[in-house]
Amino acid sequence: MPVRIRDAGVASAMFAVPARPAQAVIGYSGLEVATPLPGRAICSLAFIRYADGDLGPYHEFAVAFLVRPAAKGGRVGAFIHWLPVNQEFTLDAGRSIWGFPKEIADIPMDLTSRIQRCAVRFGGRTALELAVRPGVPMPSGAGTGGAPKVDAYSCLGGVTRRTPWTMTPSGVRARPGGARLRLGDHPVADELRSLGMDGAHALSTSTVAHLSMEFAEAEEVW
Amino acid sequence: MRRTGLVTGAGSGLGALAAQRLAAAGWDVVAVDLDEEALARTALRSPNMHTRVCDITDPKAVEALVAETGAPHRVVHAAGIGPMEPALEQSLDEVERILRINYLGTVHVVKATMPGMLERGGGELVLFSSLASWVCTRKTAAYAASKAAINAYAEVLVQEHAGSGVKIRVVCPRQVDTPGFRKAAEADPASTAGMKGMPPRVVLDAVDRSLARPADDLYVFPGALAQITVGLKRHAPGLLRRVLARATAPH
Repeated sequence: MPVRIRDAGVASAMFAVPARPAQAVIGYSGLEVATPLPGRAICSLAFIRYADGDLGPYHEFAVAFLVRPAAKGGRVGAFIHWLPVNQEFTLDAGRSIWGFPKEIADIPMDLTSRIQRCAVRFGGRTALELAVRPGVPMPSGAGTGGAPKVDAYSCLGGVTRRTPWTMTPSGVRARPGGARLRLGDHPVADELRSLGMDGAHALSTSTVAHLSMEFAEAEEVW
Repeated sequence: MRRTGLVTGAGSGLGALAAQRLAAAGWDVVAVDLDEEALARTALRSPNMHTRVCDITDPKAVEALVAETGAPHRVVHAAGIGPMEPALEQSLDEVERILRINYLGTVHVVKATMPGMLERGGGELVLFSSLASWVCTRKTAAYAASKAAINAYAEVLVQEHAGSGVKIRVVCPRQVDTPGFRKAAEADPASTAGMKGMPPRVVLDAVDRSLARPADDLYVFPGALAQITVGLKRHAPGLLRRVLARATAPH
């Protein structure tokens, strides 16, 4: 510890969703969604290609919600609600070390074309597809949530954990809107559908050509 | 069907990242290098990456490797060297070594893998040349010649196997930020025009995009600078020669 990721590429999209049903989706964690806009929570979707890192090479898709800090004085964090991956080692490490809700899926992705695309599939059935359009170049550190230090929250087996997570991005592009989400056949897709995300316009999207990261040890919140 | 990739020079730089990206995408990857420890670093916690120590200058060893692993769906042949020395001071042994590794190594890898691709009716063969093969500068005599030989070899392959379903790409990057380049730049900054190498990921992004193009679109010039340089070579060769002479002049 910490676990280091030396090279990853990311495309992500943020959606404003109604706060009450979003809270119902993550209620099992005991955390509360942050509401930067009155009555609206933020759901963030991201697809990541880990090329060089301590967890080996793999693809990942993340469904996260912006949440209030679990303790007074803490940072606003990202609650990782769903984290499918396509390799076994990171599945085991992610679940056992940090309690991340990882499961194995097929995750084809294209991070090199003008429009970056990703799908999550189980046995040939598509759970969701996300396409992210190119933005304009941003100074490094912008467009990825601002501060390079984030608290990642997870809840697995009834235990909620907090993991300090540091990001160093470069080659960042961002824009308002710019994402198209298509939901398919999966319980998480149904949840996102219940938040009105099928075909919804994203608040903003960003792509990061090169991202290095560090994950510290998780601590139990409750 | 699970796709298979063969990546040479997978111990560092372009080859290492190419192998890791294919492995991340779920391909079965055979990662080849002379350096066993470096291969182990590339393949860390990657069960679908299989490492093999193999000398690509030995045609029998390359044949045996492909006989064992089967014809891959994609070859990324990144193994190569780029020592820099004035032409008349370079020993014949060194010239021969560069040609043996860069040019004959490519021939060995192609001869071992392409027949299986042709039999299957498809495949992707990514070969690494260099911008130096188009725009020759000081101290690159043997290196540029070895890369120009790869260009010629690939052009013939494209003609001889048009319509076969096998896509060949010859990648011609400018200086890439690899351990080899860093060493050369440190030893003689003027010979690299004081330029920083481009990140391997930018080169591989260009390769990925190029594979969506038609089969006969052979050359890949990653980045705007390489494209402009090749354009100048074609349309204003005198101007380019003067610019390069000034940029790479010894201090």
